[in-house]
Order: sequence, then structure tokens, then C-alpha cells
Amino acid sequence: MAKGEIVIDENRCKGCSYCVHFCNRNCIVMPGDIFTPKGYSLPVFINTDDCTGCGICGWMCPDQAIEVYRYVEEKSR
Amino acid sequence: MAERVFTYGNEMVGWGAVNAGCIYFFGYPITPQNEVTAWFARELPKRGGVFVQSQSELGSINLVQGAAAAGARVMTSTSSPGWSLMQEGISFLALGELPTVIHVAQRGGPGTGTMRHAQMDYLSATRGGGHGGYKTIVLAPASAQEIHDLVQLAFYLADKYRNPVVVLSDGILGQMREPVKVEPLSFPPLPEKDWAIAGKAKHKDGKFREGLGGRGMVYPAEYIGALEGLDKKYRQMQDAEVRYEEYQVEDAELLLVAFGYVARVCQEVVNIARSEGLKIGLIRPITLWPFPYEVIKEKAANGARFLVVEDNLGQMIDDVRLGVEGRAETHFLGIFARHLTSDLGIIFPDRVLEETKRLLEKGR
Amino acid sequence: MVIKEKVAGPSRIWDVSRVIVPLCAGCQHGVATTLIGLVIEELGIEGRAIAVHGAGCNSLPMSGFDIDRIIGPHGRGPDLATGLKRVHPDAIVFTIQGDGDLLAIGADALMGALARGEKLTIIMYNNSNYSSTGGQMAPTTLMGQVTPTCPTGRGPDAGYPVHGAEMLAGFKTVVYSARGAVNTPANYQATKRYLKTAFQKQIDNIGLSYVEIISACPVQWHMTPLQSLKWVEKIIAEYPLGEFKNVDRIE
Repeated sequence: MAKGEIVIDENRCKGCSYCVHFCNRNCIVMPGDIFTPKGYSLPVFINTDDCTGCGICGWMCPDQAIEVYRYVEEKSR
Repeated sequence: MAERVFTYGNEMVGWGAVNAGCIYFFGYPITPQNEVTAWFARELPKRGGVFVQSQSELGSINLVQGAAAAGARVMTSTSSPGWSLMQEGISFLALGELPTVIHVAQRGGPGTGTMRHAQMDYLSATRGGGHGGYKTIVLAPASAQEIHDLVQLAFYLADKYRNPVVVLSDGILGQMREPVKVEPLSFPPLPEKDWAIAGKAKHKDGKFREGLGGRGMVYPAEYIGALEGLDKKYRQMQDAEVRYEEYQVEDAELLLVAFGYVARVCQEVVNIARSEGLKIGLIRPITLWPFPYEVIKEKAANGARFLVVEDNLGQMIDDVRLGVEGRAETHFLGIFARHLTSDLGIIFPDRVLEETKRLLEKGR
Repeated sequence: MVIKEKVAGPSRIWDVSRVIVPLCAGCQHGVATTLIGLVIEELGIEGRAIAVHGAGCNSLPMSGFDIDRIIGPHGRGPDLATGLKRVHPDAIVFTIQGDGDLLAIGADALMGALARGEKLTIIMYNNSNYSSTGGQMAPTTLMGQVTPTCPTGRGPDAGYPVHGAEMLAGFKTVVYSARGAVNTPANYQATKRYLKTAFQKQIDNIGLSYVEIISACPVQWHMTPLQSLKWVEKIIAEYPLGEFKNVDRIE
């Protein structure tokens, strides 16, 4: 069951593959035949159930191209 | 409230600066202007100001760049070798459109040169010694009073145009002691420096401010626009800021052209010559840039001849030649007219008078 | 009730999408500058922070900031920063400089700030070369590293790698000196702590703080981004990470 999710912004991404490398749950892959509008190789978020929302892919992305969300219990007032 | 002070020309740099509201000075020791740094080090703390001795003239001009970017009235002072080191910094001040005043007490060059006076940085100052073809207004005082007055004018012009202004003095003017009336001079009002960097919270609109030096590299598309702005500014300076003094020029057959300490010498030459019935006069540029081409052109058209006297191998004569546009004889008397071959030599009135008489004779 | 909490993404103080001249794919200047932006936000100093950039790739991120900033001549960052700090002592003035910008051409300005004890925060991006001009040898270039100005590899006739963080730790006026990297999540978090500590030294008006950040440069190292991440480990072997000095007052 997913504990988080990510959104990859194809307008920022430069296809460096750091996110693929750092996700230790293999949630991101680089198919090699999908491209950003600028022509960079675009990674894809799959295995979405395994995402913990740890944030590491977002930290390591040099282009701030990944928004990472974590599902949390809303704190009661 | 004016005070009468009797002191070195160099100290007038300080008096002029504080009377213009400048309380930041960054400088490095170099002869013959060490009285300037000593004055600021002593007097600024008394006035809530900041004196910092930089690690070099590279440091001086860049510390100045930081304070100028913060909107403060700030200046530095140096002599010829330090002036060389400052060129890159001045080029950056020009693109960054930052106001500041740079005082230079010229000494012999090139290289280490001498510790004493000379006028060998005219071309470097007026052509923009650093890269990029920028312009700075260059003011040439010829007395301690004028150092005091022109430093204040320099701050006004620097803020008016958002550009560095050079006050080009020399070792003799700096070391001379004369009585001076010290007071804040009044100038037209200037706009607030809304562009100054201070930290976003200090700006009324809460938006960031940025130095303009990135136009070209960090903001490539803004390059030509930046140059258009600079070009317009330089033309405005040329139209509005020419300053010079005419001394007994009305019926002069021969006109001396001189600046700085040499102009004081030439004034004496005119006095002596006139007392002997010789018709000579003196044109003394006060702004070396923008140069008073018009008055030179007008006198040339009226048939005058020119003797350019300067303590170098021939620099201002280039501008006089541009001014006469080929219509008048232009003669030169330079550093070899000094009375000694050592660094102690000075161009004295007798040598200039001798040359003047020779030219007047030849002309008949 | 479960909600989505954002834990990573574009930063407010420094946003890559505002950068006009783009950085190379895999260049870690984007990661390092994001950290600076996050730290400024967390410390609440956005309103008083002023960034001073040098020349080179370290100047390209300037347009991404939403704080007051200025670019100076190559190497003169500490001088401009000093001028700004002397006029606005309450501002938090920091420089972002490259390795050559600080340790080669910037040695004059650096020594001036160190000798006078200016209370600045100096941040240096160490990628062991002059990246924006084509990857030439820098003071930080590794032994044996091939660059256009040491085409047979750096040898002793061109000196040895210069260790900025260790050198600065030896100065009395430096109260904090650290070196970090962003090649692993652990190093990323440590570097963030170093930056936070460094800025806090200036907030507390204690003395000069310095953080060196090793940044991958795939293009000038002639590697893919992933290969360059691996190469950073080699650089760390020469330039150890950690805090080299951390004091609460100048002794």
C-alpha cells in the first residue's frame, strides 16, 4: 500500500537519472524512449504502490522536477 | 557653517567627502596619497562612518562596489599603480551603473615609476582604462580648494548618472598646503536610490533588488539594452557636464592648455607674459572627460595657436588636436621640460615662458 | 483523515525554473543551491539575506533566487560582500563561489576577508575544475586528473590539490569551516546542517563561516551524470567531509 506519491515535471526534467538511481524501492524507471518537450529522456513513476514518500528523489533532483507527497494523518485541532 | 582650514590638498579629499555625506571609505596605502587614508581612518569613526583598509587596490575598488550597490555614498583613493589594479573593478561599476568617486593622486609611471607627482594617467583615465569602452567623468582639480569642491561635485555627478567619477589629482597638489573654505556645497536634488540592495525586507514593495552586472552573462538577452542605456548616459554627460576655465584668452595669439598643477604654473606664465606685453592666455580643462572640445574648436577657428603643457610624454595633446580639427598649430611641452632629470623635477614657469616666447617669435 | 503532505519539490527562495541560463543535466549546483534556499527559508532570514555570486557556473543560479543579489568580478565576492555588510551590518551576506573563483583569482579577496575578520558566510562549490570555461585545471583538481590545461594529467609540477576547508579552519577569524557533498541522501542532509550552522554563525554575529560543497560536474568530467556521482566518491577520498572547525566565539 503506497504511503506516498510523486509527480515528475517534464518541463524541468533533464533526464539525469539521479532519481532512478536513488529510489531504493525501484519506483522510477528510465524507459529511454519517452522524452521531455526539450528532448531529454523522461523517467517514469511506476510501482506506485511501493512509494513511501521518503522524498529522496525530490532532494537529489538538480532541477526540482519532482514533487513528493506523503500521506499523513491530519492532526486534529 | 564654513570653516577655514590650512592643510594638505590630500586632506581636502576627506573634507570634501564628509561634506558630501560620504561616510564610507575603503583604501590601501600608496604614496603620494597616504594622507588621504590616514585622514579617513582618523576622522570617519568620529562621524559614525566606516573606514576599512583593504588588502590591495583590487580589494579597495570591490569593497567600494559592494557599498555602492547598497546605495551608500562611498569612495576610494589611490595613486597610479593602484589605479591600474582598479580598472576591472571600474569596468564592473560602469556596467553595474553604480555611483562612486575614485580619487587618484598621479605619480610617475609606467611601472613603479616614482613616488612623486606626474600627469601620466590622463589617457588611461579619460579613455576608460579598463575593458569595455565605458566612460567616467574625470575631474581635474588645480588647488586644494578645488579638490574639496570637486570631490563634492563628483559625488553629485556619480549619483546623478549612476556612474563612477574620477578625481584626477597629482602628488604636488596633494602635498601642497593652502587655505581652504570647508563647507557642504549645495546641489540639485537627486532621486531616492530605490535600486539599492539591502535585504528584501528593507524595500517598500518587499521585492528583491539585483545588481545590474549580470546583464550579458546571467541575462544574455539584456546585453544590447544595457549598452543602449550606457550610451545614452554618456551622451548626456558629454552634453551637460563639460567644465573648463579660461584665463585671459580674449585677444590671445597663443593659448596654453594645461590641467592640474601644471595649470597653476601656466597661470603664472600668463601673468608674467602679459606684464611683458605678450598676448597669451590659458584654457584649463576641469573636466578631462568630457573634454571641452568646443572652446578649443572656437579658438582655433579664430586663429589662435596652442601650446599644450603637461607633465607626461604627450596625452592631453591628443584631445587638443581633436578639438582643433586640423585648423590650428598645436605644440607640446612635456615632462622633458622639468628642471631636473630625477623624480624631483617640476615644470616651472621659466621653461614654459621660454617656449612660449620661442613660439611667438616663430609666428611673426 | 489522510492528507497529502508535500515533502520535496521546487523551493520558494531558490527555484530552478527562474534560472535563465540553464545548468547542465546532472550538475549538482542545482542541488546545492536548493539547499541554500531551504536553509534561508527555515532560518527565517529571507528578508535580510543577500547573495553575492562570482564568475563561472556558480553565477548562473543567481537568477533563481528570490532575495537581493549581485554578481561581482571573478573572485571578488568576499570584497563585495564586505562592502555590503559594512553598510548593512544586520544583513546576512553570503557568497557563492567556484573553486577557482575562491582559491585562485579570489585569493586576494579571501585573504582580505580572513585577515580583517569580516562576518560573512562563504560558500564554495568544489567541482575540481573551471567548469564554465571548459574544464581547465583548478587549485582543487585531483592528481592525475586530465584537463585542457594539464592534458597529461595533473602532476607535481602543477602543485597539489588545495584544501580550502582545512586551510580556513586554521584562521582565528573563521569560526566555522565544513565540507559537504550531495552525492547521497545522507551527505545531502549533513550538508544542509552545515549550511544551517554556517548561517547561524552570522546571525549570531560570531565570525566568518565557510562551507565547501562538492558538486558533480558530468560535462567537464566527461562522464554521464550517474558516472559523475561515482566520481564524487573519488573526490571525497581527497577532500574529506565533515566539520573542521566549529566554535562559538573567536578565541
